[in-house]
Amino acid sequence: MMEKLYMESGWLSLNKMGEELCGDRVECINLENCYLMVLADGLGSGVKANILSTLTSKIISTMLANDMTIEECVETIANTLPVCSQRQVAYSTFTILQAFKTTGEVIITQFDNPQVIILRDGKSIPYPMEERVIAGKKIQITHFQGQVGDLLLMMSDGTIHAGVGTVLNFGWQLPEIIEYAQRKYKPDLSARSMAGIICDACRDLYMDMPGDDTTVAALRIRRHREVNLMIGPPVDPAQDEEICRDFFALPGKHIVCGGTTSTLVSRYLGQPVNPSIDYIDPKIPPIAFIKGVDLVTEGVITLGRVVELAQKFVSSQDTDTPWRTSKDGASLIARLLFEEATKVELYVGRAINPAHQNPNLPLNLSLKLRLMEDLAALLEKMDKRVSLRYY
Amino acid sequence: MKIYVCIGSSCHLKGSYDIIAVLKKLVSDRGLEKEVSLNASFCLGHCMDGVTIKIDDQLITGVTPQNITEIFDRAWAERHPA
Repeated sequence: MMEKLYMESGWLSLNKMGEELCGDRVECINLENCYLMVLADGLGSGVKANILSTLTSKIISTMLANDMTIEECVETIANTLPVCSQRQVAYSTFTILQAFKTTGEVIITQFDNPQVIILRDGKSIPYPMEERVIAGKKIQITHFQGQVGDLLLMMSDGTIHAGVGTVLNFGWQLPEIIEYAQRKYKPDLSARSMAGIICDACRDLYMDMPGDDTTVAALRIRRHREVNLMIGPPVDPAQDEEICRDFFALPGKHIVCGGTTSTLVSRYLGQPVNPSIDYIDPKIPPIAFIKGVDLVTEGVITLGRVVELAQKFVSSQDTDTPWRTSKDGASLIARLLFEEATKVELYVGRAINPAHQNPNLPLNLSLKLRLMEDLAALLEKMDKRVSLRYY
Repeated sequence: MKIYVCIGSSCHLKGSYDIIAVLKKLVSDRGLEKEVSLNASFCLGHCMDGVTIKIDDQLITGVTPQNITEIFDRAWAERHPA
């Protein structure tokens, strides 16, 4: 059987200036055969919009996940959303993606949000839309045959309104957004990074004072890629060889972290460890090289930074991702784990380094196990399939 | 003369970065780039004893940014008697 496709998603929101809550909402459900993604934009802003978009996205995603039809979803929303007392309407616009993992087919359902952009090989491609009226709403439906590498962008109208009346007369219009997305596209750019790039541009156009909630959500169709990371030697040194054999038998890329660990890997592979002496970042020890290993870094300090980067990355508001270009050990790990990997295997040695028990150290180095659990949980939040092996 | 400075986790936290900076400066100030090779080492196995460095085959522990100049001078003098 052909391996299923991996649907990678990522999104970011900017809140309207002065609002604590965002009126846009993205809901994703990762089903066995289908990846569901709903972006809803509630009428108005603040609490009311937040409630409307939350209800809309939750109702739609939950109903679709339980095999209901689009018609049933839309009728349910039309009949249940609270009515706005000022405007006498119950309203939230939405975009729905249903991406099928075995066939690559994507059903796009759109109601009043800016039109979904589909980038294939970095170029926007046109697609037909069939209009259907459900519960009095005009809904556009597209059945689209997706391919590996396709990137789909959904947006709330905060994007096309960016800069209205200040830096741009008519806001950032869709053809211009498409042009910008095409220019920024790179084949290895993750969904989250692409969403971040467009959100950043909106933030700039708003001069850091967004006049509307702004959300960009991306879906990228990918094949699975494995990245494996090993940290710490086994409790029982007699296991060194067995652990290394299992680890290097795994498909995909291999990262080795920690001084003792790289020494035992170097012995196993019969290749010397060549550490670099150049600090890219004074806080992160330099990386090293072992022939046959894709990346060798120091252990706990570097991974501590990776966990910090992951925490920032999974928050839906932080567009700052300096690790995408920086070359210190933590940034290099972040790129492999957050962007390249779809499956991550973590090999964690439980041997205790006596030097790490020293209470006088400014940082608690004995937190390795905790750190790896945190990392696994964060990677799962990024929709990676993660497994942990302790030895 | 070959110098290895440990940059493992413990040594890093105890000041490898500053020690390397001092060494780089010493070497360049004295124009010893040809005679001295500066390297990093992942773990020299003395994590409990402060920053560890290796000069040729000699292990030195408890190195700090303050005493590194003296250690360097002594090692240099031993190898180049006046």
